[in-house]
Amino acid sequence: MARRISAVVSQGQSHNPRKRELEEELVTLLMMEPGIDAAVIPNLYDVKPDGTSALALQGVSGDVIVFSWLYERAARWTLDRLDVRGAEGVSTINAELDEDEEGDSEAGDSADEEKKSRVADDRPVPKRRIYCLELSAFESAAEFMVEVRRIQKELTTSVVSLGGLDDWVSPTAKPSPESLERFANPTNDTALGSNGTLQHAEGSNGFHASNGAAEPAVDVIRIDESADRRWYPVIDFGRCTNCMECIDFCLFGVYGIDGAETILVEQPDNCRKGCPACSRVCPENAIIFPQHKSPAIAGAPAEVGTLKIDLSRLFGAPDAVEQAARERDEQLVLAGRETVGLTVGIPKRQEENATESKDELDDLIDGLDELDI
Amino acid sequence: MLHFMMGEFEAEFPTDCRYAKNHMWASESGERIRFGFTAYAVRLLQDVYFLDWNFDAPATVSSRQLLGSIESKKAESDLFAPLAGELSEFNATLLNDPSAINVDKYGEGWLFEMAAEVDAQSELMTPSEYVSHLADVWEVTQRTIKGQLN
Repeated sequence: MARRISAVVSQGQSHNPRKRELEEELVTLLMMEPGIDAAVIPNLYDVKPDGTSALALQGVSGDVIVFSWLYERAARWTLDRLDVRGAEGVSTINAELDEDEEGDSEAGDSADEEKKSRVADDRPVPKRRIYCLELSAFESAAEFMVEVRRIQKELTTSVVSLGGLDDWVSPTAKPSPESLERFANPTNDTALGSNGTLQHAEGSNGFHASNGAAEPAVDVIRIDESADRRWYPVIDFGRCTNCMECIDFCLFGVYGIDGAETILVEQPDNCRKGCPACSRVCPENAIIFPQHKSPAIAGAPAEVGTLKIDLSRLFGAPDAVEQAARERDEQLVLAGRETVGLTVGIPKRQEENATESKDELDDLIDGLDELDI
Repeated sequence: MLHFMMGEFEAEFPTDCRYAKNHMWASESGERIRFGFTAYAVRLLQDVYFLDWNFDAPATVSSRQLLGSIESKKAESDLFAPLAGELSEFNATLLNDPSAINVDKYGEGWLFEMAAEVDAQSELMTPSEYVSHLADVWEVTQRTIKGQLN
């Protein structure tokens, strides 16, 4: 059995009975699963930073699995906003898609531009892992439990390899299952955790169940804080380059700068409901509106369905900046202010010219063939 | 003919028609204006495989209204109205076999015909204006293609 893992189910915003049923079914299974401490919170995105749910999440120092109706990336960076950080646990639910996506982008990056520095590069994260699973992935809770057990196994294995048991035990004298188990799940409270810090025994790195730490939790922690629907941008700092185009563009004072001159969403509740304009002007596609209807803005992985170039922009589709300016004007009108169109805070992207030698067009277009469609 | 170099490819533009920003030529044919893809557009698309319109003609359209979509060997795109006006006819032969777009872009490969007010027509460019427009957008075009290959 693995170390205890906290599992959090973030409820959907809607009262869609099918969704609620899946959530409840999952909670029941998690509750009965050995090694899991389960909790239910309102929709993660709506949670207030100083509310009960946020405090409960921040109180968990061990590994966490978060189930939500948000895209994986949206959930991860919403947690980051709430000061809930950890290494990215990779789920097999989305693994295939992710690998493709990353493979493509890495190849592109290394081939033709030096790697840009991202805000997240300078931010250390705790070693514990956070897995964000999308509740839309499966129809039945049982399917999620397969993944939960896989994660439990993965975490146990990684503890052994990090802890170095197999370094000092000779290959012919493998540790017994019992000692592995004791190592993975220490019964004394002076054992060192995988990150080298003193770690108390069961339960104490997760939610505190009301029936004491000695017994496995059979209760589910339910946090019923009232969660009004919110609307604000979530920054993916793994993509953000701190270019400041969003703060220039937004005229509602949503963005601010922290002590280290890094962009942050300072006044999320100033954001205009339904308006995703800053997300459209972000050159790195780092701004997520998790509840927006367009998957690209809500944090979905890059579309993988098509490998052809989309020329719509060249053939007259309104470009993202134009659309963003239109959306911003609508909000300015609603707020009783003057429209500004394209006169304020328009990205200067067009100016920073990546000058290409003109003969490259053929290579570029032919490059598509090499993608082996 | 006017010319524009797309890398090593020389795109040709007849001087007896006008041009829309979305890379269509416009040629008066009686009361109507006939539109088709310019050599610039066709060079980017290469072999056209499929063309589809979202509605039947005749129809009143606004400027930059979505009309349909196109798929080629190398690309896909939505297609938009170059002007506001009355779209009177789509070139029906292209629906079964769009190859005329590649073979005879300024002739049999025409896309649709429209009737438009004189005011709306003023958005159309002269051949030399179009060629200088191409010079302006060429960098962006290359980046659009390149950006999507990454």
